[in-house]
Amino acid sequence: MISVKNLTKLYGDITALDHLDLKVGSGTICGLLGPNGAGKTTLVSILNGLAGFQTGAVEIFGLPLTANLKEIRRRTAFIPQSLALYDNLSVRENLHFFAGIQNISGSTLRRNLDYAISVNRLDEILGQRAATLSGGQKRRLNIAIGLLNNPQLIYFDEPTVGIDPESRHQILDTIRTFRDDTKTVIYTSHYMSEIEKLCDEVAIIDRGRIIRRGHLKTLLQDEQSDSVVLELLSSSLSQLDEIARKTSGLKVITSTRLFLLDQNSLKMGRLLSLLEAEKIIVKHIRYGSTDLEALFLRLTSTGATDV
Amino acid sequence: MFKVMLIKEFKLVWRDKHALAALFIMPAIFILIMSIALKDTFNSDRSLVNYAVVDLDKTGQSLELMSFLESDKGLHCYSMVLANPAERRRALREELDFVVEIPAGFTERLLRADAERPLVSLIIYAAADIKREMLKLFKSRLAGGVLRLRLTDMKLTLSPLLPESDLDKAAAKFAGLEFDAAEIARVRFNDLAVGQKPTSTQQSVPSWIVFGMFFVIIPLSTIFINEQRQNTLLRMSSMNVSTPLLFAGKIVPYMLINQIQVWLMIAVGMFVVPLFGADALTLGKSLGGLFMVSFGLSLSAVGTAILIAVSVKTVEQATTIGGIINILLGAVGGIMVPKFFMPEVMQRLAEISPMSWGLDGFLDIFLRGLGPESVMEESFKLIVLGVFLLLVAGVVFNRKMRLNV
Repeated sequence: MISVKNLTKLYGDITALDHLDLKVGSGTICGLLGPNGAGKTTLVSILNGLAGFQTGAVEIFGLPLTANLKEIRRRTAFIPQSLALYDNLSVRENLHFFAGIQNISGSTLRRNLDYAISVNRLDEILGQRAATLSGGQKRRLNIAIGLLNNPQLIYFDEPTVGIDPESRHQILDTIRTFRDDTKTVIYTSHYMSEIEKLCDEVAIIDRGRIIRRGHLKTLLQDEQSDSVVLELLSSSLSQLDEIARKTSGLKVITSTRLFLLDQNSLKMGRLLSLLEAEKIIVKHIRYGSTDLEALFLRLTSTGATDV
Repeated sequence: MFKVMLIKEFKLVWRDKHALAALFIMPAIFILIMSIALKDTFNSDRSLVNYAVVDLDKTGQSLELMSFLESDKGLHCYSMVLANPAERRRALREELDFVVEIPAGFTERLLRADAERPLVSLIIYAAADIKREMLKLFKSRLAGGVLRLRLTDMKLTLSPLLPESDLDKAAAKFAGLEFDAAEIARVRFNDLAVGQKPTSTQQSVPSWIVFGMFFVIIPLSTIFINEQRQNTLLRMSSMNVSTPLLFAGKIVPYMLINQIQVWLMIAVGMFVVPLFGADALTLGKSLGGLFMVSFGLSLSAVGTAILIAVSVKTVEQATTIGGIINILLGAVGGIMVPKFFMPEVMQRLAEISPMSWGLDGFLDIFLRGLGPESVMEESFKLIVLGVFLLLVAGVVFNRKMRLNV
């Protein structure tokens, strides 16, 4: 479905993508993970034909991207993180406008509209102005617009940012249905739990290179490390930040979660003493990269080399 | 607390270069333009009025009248031969405000007119777009010159009749002569039928139509920037919408909006203005010419708006810069200050303002009643400018889209 070979993208002197390789199979939901500035958005923009590149080869549906951009775009959808819709138009008007600019009409329009509306549960709000919708409803409309051409390949850029848990679940349920429809999804998100729940494959991108890719379970099994995740009962971020300053390799994830890279008994002993001194109770200690977040933090912290 | 609020506000303004431009640079430029444009209006050494004389009388008195006018520093006499009406009409459209024709026998009749031999009036041919105040000023100067001729003649006539006791007898000599100032000079407006006068409505409505049309800059650029900010344009690009198609989707509706504006403002001039006691606007003879000028103006305005929209980042910047450009184009282009009030340098500068081209075109249609051929040049310049601005905007937009993703 997607084949990227030796892709390099430069913005002046800055290398956004550095000889990047990626393959995503048909019908796969692939999570694209990476720290800010790693090159995720640039990669998705290139795959959409919204940005050019200096060297490399990109093929989608077996077609070279540059020469077949129009045809590829007809079969793909890009769902941006921002709500790319018109607040002053109703839900129905937004859907008809974006269908119209893609020259979708007649029975195809009716079929695709029905699909986009039902999958995103927009039936009851079709007459409402977009400006009056809740954050979750707007997100669903944003996705529905992307489905109007019944795409085979969909790029999602952080589709659940800033919405309530219920709406997030609805959106994730919607995306899961794409697997049944054999659609391919490239999904970028900062929420590791979403990627874990949703994606078959994961590609971790750092400094413009894919540093790990493959099936999630295999990746987690394969990655052995000396890192440790500490679950805390309660604490404050300021306390933890102070402790992190005194402990090399310690990352504060949340006020109840710490990540310690390259642990050893001495470092671990010191950390536990510091926590005890601050009267912070440790609830649970997990050794090894047992979840995606830990794996991601370890790989991006150590500057792991690409696969 | 108040102190820190003040400091915060000053810092925010100081760091916002567009706010600074709106607050300081725009008024400074505006003052500069208006001061230069009006600098000679109150300067008595400067010639405000350009005129030429066609002397068919060729008497000592007509020469004396001419030299009286020439002695006025506010008037500038052009020595040009205007052998026929076509040359006169051309000169009045281009460099002259007035042409004074002294008919044969004017001074003789002025001095010796009676019931059998009525006065022969001077003829003032005035430019169609001349302001009433200017015409009044010129007429009064001319009447002053004529009065001077008469007084000189009276003095010559009365001198032999002195002593004083014979003054009644002398005065009787002039009793039969009615001196009607309106009869001294009859005014004919260039390009208008005899007896037809340009009204303030005909003179001012075109200016405000031009100014109003350029206000599309603000809504167009605001909506465009919002679309850019929300990535709607990016989404459209990903849906195979090309830049020319995207621009066409802006150009066509806003040009239609401009046409609605034009006809709405014309309707106000025709039907609403008379309700307040002013003269109604008349359309002129050429709907084709009106369409040509308004089409060109519209394309220029939309081109300016799209170029601003693709060049700035925020709605605030667009409204500030759009507003500034609108006002400056209006000030330079003769919308706020008539061009003939401006010094030569500013008049030349006005020639590069699209508002000035549009205004000239509309004045030809509304005021002078001319046809499409007379507005070809202005319409062409406006269309070329519009296309050029759109091309530049296209280049900037494509570049920005490539860099922003």
